Amino acid sequence: MAIALTAEGSPPASRRSRRRRPALPVLLVAPAVILLLLFTFAPAVYAFVLSLLKNHVSGGLLGTSNEQVFAGIENYIATLTDSEFWGSLGRMLLVAAVGVPTVLILATVFALCLDANRARLTGFSRLAIFLPYAVPGVIASLLWGFLYLPATSPIGGQFVDYFGNTTIFFAVANVAVWGVLGFNMVVLYTALKSIPRELFDAAQIDGASELQLALRIKLPMIAPAMTMVALFSVIGALQLFNEPTTLKPLTNAISSTWVPLMRVYTDSFVNNDIYGGAASAFTLLVMTVGVTVLVNVVGTRLSNRSSR
Amino acid sequence: MNKKLLRALAIPVSAVIGLAGLTACSTAGGDSGSSGPVKLTFVNWDNGMDVVVAAWNKANPNIQVKLIKPSGTGYTLYNKLITDTKAGTNPDVAEIEYPAIPLMISNKVIVPIDKYISSLDNYSKNVLNRVQFEGKTYGVPQNICPLVFFYRKDIFDAAGITKPPATWDEFAADAAIIHSANPKQYISNFDANSPEWFSGLSEQAGGNWWSASGSTWSVNIDDAATQKVASYWQGLLDKDLVAPGPSWSTQWNTDMNTGNIVGWISGQWAPNQLPSIAPDTAGKWAAAAVPAWTAGDKKIGTWGGEVEGVTANSKHPAEAAKFVNWMNNSQEGLNLLIKNVQVFPASAKYQSLPALSTPPPFMSTQPDYNTLMAQLASNVTGFDIWGPNANITFNTYSDAFGKAVTNKTSFLDALKTVQDTTVADMKKSGYTVK
Repeated sequence: MAIALTAEGSPPASRRSRRRRPALPVLLVAPAVILLLLFTFAPAVYAFVLSLLKNHVSGGLLGTSNEQVFAGIENYIATLTDSEFWGSLGRMLLVAAVGVPTVLILATVFALCLDANRARLTGFSRLAIFLPYAVPGVIASLLWGFLYLPATSPIGGQFVDYFGNTTIFFAVANVAVWGVLGFNMVVLYTALKSIPRELFDAAQIDGASELQLALRIKLPMIAPAMTMVALFSVIGALQLFNEPTTLKPLTNAISSTWVPLMRVYTDSFVNNDIYGGAASAFTLLVMTVGVTVLVNVVGTRLSNRSSR
Repeated sequence: MNKKLLRALAIPVSAVIGLAGLTACSTAGGDSGSSGPVKLTFVNWDNGMDVVVAAWNKANPNIQVKLIKPSGTGYTLYNKLITDTKAGTNPDVAEIEYPAIPLMISNKVIVPIDKYISSLDNYSKNVLNRVQFEGKTYGVPQNICPLVFFYRKDIFDAAGITKPPATWDEFAADAAIIHSANPKQYISNFDANSPEWFSGLSEQAGGNWWSASGSTWSVNIDDAATQKVASYWQGLLDKDLVAPGPSWSTQWNTDMNTGNIVGWISGQWAPNQLPSIAPDTAGKWAAAAVPAWTAGDKKIGTWGGEVEGVTANSKHPAEAAKFVNWMNNSQEGLNLLIKNVQVFPASAKYQSLPALSTPPPFMSTQPDYNTLMAQLASNVTGFDIWGPNANITFNTYSDAFGKAVTNKTSFLDALKTVQDTTVADMKKSGYTVK
């Protein structure tokens, strides 16, 4: 949705007086706009329409004649008054509360370490940290599942219950963290590399240690990139689905409505209530856009203040 | 300019159409073909079914069946069938377990086949009740799957237990003996992931989750009998006498294979699945009747059992029904099913076929396996009818009981959640619930 907002916010300036020009910008944005309309806006509109309908059965014991009827905001009321919906949001926020700061801190620390003057083997280390990002989420979750389960665990699953009712949040967050860490680390590392080297020279001549250099110069300079990483992580958390879904068959601790997207999936394709699922999905869409805007605004404010 | 714009648009649009083409995948089952053999598609997940289908294809050049293995079994498949029925892409014939038939009818996935098949007189009323609704027949019953208690005879013997538990009290006592002899070992697990395991136990206890009169439903999932079952298992879990994890998980498979879980309350079909669950334990298992609530009570619930249904999407329902009737209701078809899929026939007429005199390969040490099945099958009891939204009941069971096991909260509350969610959904959909 972040892409959607920016694309929508910059309409091509058309100037009728000059005849040849107007076609070109239209032409250039056309592919992106058409794909966006077809695959983002059209499904969203369709989901919204579905969310206002419901299935109504009649005709005998097994209701062999069923029809779509208009439900108004019934599905939305059902979603918003369902404690499981808020429960799933709560669990997602718990995972995010563990995962997002961890990603941010680890990605920053790794990037700073790789950028330090004394760092050796940076090429190898960078690749090693980046590599988990290249492993598909489902595969990573399966592998972590094996690492967690007592029967196959090489990391103490026999003594620690990784699927307990508290540990489960850390277990899921852990899988997600390693999935996105490498990418975010590279984003921050690239930001570090783009800082003019003269600044470091000047600081070192003034007697700044490596640590002071990192904390006083590098960190403030990459603040905008860190805002972006935070934003990506928060959006990533909202989209949490693969990891808990893949781990679900391994444990009782993950229900079919454990996080909001799993609830949407369960409503639509397990309970066959595509309408209720659409209502939850649309509610989530509104929330996601809201959070994205909020994080963006707050993040920009923060990074503006710190760069002053 | 307009032309230019159009041409410019044509590129992305054609790209988009190309993409859309990629996503539109499988086509509807069967050709509307003018001449040549009728082609049917058949979705079924049982091991060994390919042999049965090959035999049919050889004998019936004019009706060729293509077997499809679904990506998921049970409700994963049924939900896909429900979704796909609107798209018209379902296979002609689908494996459907008894509890899912009302769900499949109310979602118009399967059609009545009365006009295509001659007679199902050889089936008992008890079996026909599972496929006939409001005077119509929705499939030819294949098998009957009573609950069976499978246990590791070697480990029971070593623990000094000479005979399988006859009552649930004995089961609890044996559970304690096994767990104290080796704290790693459990007599069984509580399976929050298999709703039909639990509904089977409830059937045995006398539960009657759904019943109907006219077009009014009664839903009694948290009836006294089911509460008794729930409390019993919570008691075992509280005393750490059964393992808490779900079946078919990596953990459970490993525990079954290494002998940490030494018993499994399962269905008649278990010997078809055990080779992939616990391959190292072949020949070490024995099958017995599930313990009774009162000694001597022979009543037993079921887990699974299937019909092959003809889908509403099929363009050749007559041929599909013919195939289904051959497979599930002829000596030839059933002999093949018994040998290759380890099926136990639903019709009493076929329950003494010669093919049944040999036990399934995994149970080779128990020659009278099928005699036991015949005896259990004659005592099968069940709910009046399965609900039209059993999928929701089952999913809620997994969620609610999974949560209760993890958080050590009351099973009776979980049972109430299942009842309330089921009733709420039925009312929301427009069913009349008393």
